[in-house]
Amino acid sequence: MRPGIVVPVLDDARAVILHRPHPTVAALSRQLRAIGLTVETHWPDLRAEAITADYIFFDADLGHDAQFPWRPGQSPMPLIALIGSEAPGRIEWALSQGATGQIIKPVGDSGVFSALLIARQAFDARKAQEAAIADLRGRLSERQTIVQAVALLARGNRDETVAYNQLRQMAMAWRVTIEDAAQRVVSHGGHGPAIRDLCPTCGGKGLARPA
Amino acid sequence: MGRRDIEIGLLFSRHGSYALIGEAGRTGALRAIEAVNSDPALDVTFHPVERDPRGNIDAYQPLCADILEATAARHVIGTTTSWSRKEIIPTLERAGGTLWYPCPYEGFEASDHVVYTHACPSQHLVPLMDWAVPRFGGRGYLVGSNYIWGWESNRVARDLILAAGGQVLGERYLPIGDTDIERMIDEVRATRPDFVLNSLIGPSSYEFLAAMKAKAGSVPILSCNLTECELPAMGQVAEGLISSGPYFRGARGWPASDGIDFGSSFEAAAWLAVRMLADLLAHRPGAERMKLQDLLASSRAELYGIDRATNHLTLPVLIAEIRGGRFEIIARRDAVAPDPYLSRRQRGEAPSRPSLTVVSR
Repeated sequence: MRPGIVVPVLDDARAVILHRPHPTVAALSRQLRAIGLTVETHWPDLRAEAITADYIFFDADLGHDAQFPWRPGQSPMPLIALIGSEAPGRIEWALSQGATGQIIKPVGDSGVFSALLIARQAFDARKAQEAAIADLRGRLSERQTIVQAVALLARGNRDETVAYNQLRQMAMAWRVTIEDAAQRVVSHGGHGPAIRDLCPTCGGKGLARPA
Repeated sequence: MGRRDIEIGLLFSRHGSYALIGEAGRTGALRAIEAVNSDPALDVTFHPVERDPRGNIDAYQPLCADILEATAARHVIGTTTSWSRKEIIPTLERAGGTLWYPCPYEGFEASDHVVYTHACPSQHLVPLMDWAVPRFGGRGYLVGSNYIWGWESNRVARDLILAAGGQVLGERYLPIGDTDIERMIDEVRATRPDFVLNSLIGPSSYEFLAAMKAKAGSVPILSCNLTECELPAMGQVAEGLISSGPYFRGARGWPASDGIDFGSSFEAAAWLAVRMLADLLAHRPGAERMKLQDLLASSRAELYGIDRATNHLTLPVLIAEIRGGRFEIIARRDAVAPDPYLSRRQRGEAPSRPSLTVVSR
């Protein structure tokens, strides 16, 4: 069975349209209200309450960075670009804002529902990817720490495989990531309590060479 | 004061795989036109401009354009499949025309060039599943014709079934007109579902019902699109079929009908479209050229229960079972608001919704 699309909660969701008064705004508002959203229009800048909107539609033709109270690409909600002029420069700017949906002007009778679904799906996916990438970056930057920790644990003629296994056991016993365990080991360095005392439950085990 | 002569388009297929539905809609529209033309309280006389796409999807757009370009008609009653409706909407937008669409459909549309006078999923599929799952169980098998009606009805049904803790045992589609239903029947027999949701149309559906009766007779079959108008084609094999719709023959409560009886909900919905249009145009010279939004900005439109945000109507919901060759109503709700995007039930409305009244069982 194919997995279903998650239809976001749209009833009473709030949409903010950042666009000068124009028939486009009326057509867009009509579609949004038909779907069940409440609609506000802001121009020329987003007012403070925009920060809690569920979706923001913005004019890609006359828009500029200073209209948004966050840095480009950092919006806390999905952005949908209203594109009139399909000039590469304007599309580039809309993308730099982090738009995950688009509607071509003039806005007619349809297109808003799919834009909402696609923008939400892409926004959530991007957020999840950003979180995953930040996590992976963190781990990558800790690689050096793990090398140091293994070297410390390997002091006294134990080989590195054994030392690495011990580090893993420490991480498991402490219920932390191996990167965090490595940091603890390194922060104790050659000073203070003996490394083996750092982890009473696994201190003596796993230290012997495998037969 | 003299009567205004107003042309209105009728775009129903009288041939092809869903001709029975087209004929039902055409009958309803013509009945209403006749009634309007002889109503002394109205100052309009309707002249039907008929085109028959003969069930050919590629004929709808040119014929609709022909009505809007070659005649003075701005309002068109008709189309049966969602596919054909979607084909002509761009033409309506360009010409400033309006379609009055008298069939149940799968929702997720609210064109401001269309008035939807039949049911959307909050008025057929949602109440049908709410009714059926507690009675029959949650293990469903879904069949449908290979276009948007079948696909989206089954997607919504899948969501409803899973939300109710049920399970979808299978999902199969056939091209419109195809009658190769063996595999579906074999799968139904193999999976023994608690019910089958049938969103097939035309001959595919008739063939499926016949084979189910012969080979899997005990499995309840549910439908949101079968009505009296297809009984002649279905015959005996339709006995026991359960269908949901806003009207079945003899039911009370159809908007503005004043006790008139209709052959089916397709006929009733097309009748209502013409009747409502006449009321909106009467005593408003030039109204036949108004934009739909302006035309509907009238207290007369409200009397018909139209939701101005979506151009859909508040309608009764009836669930009926075919017994002795007629649809017998077994549950009903009197007035269900349209919710074409099914967005209004998402925020915890489901438990508080009034349940269907069981009429008999």
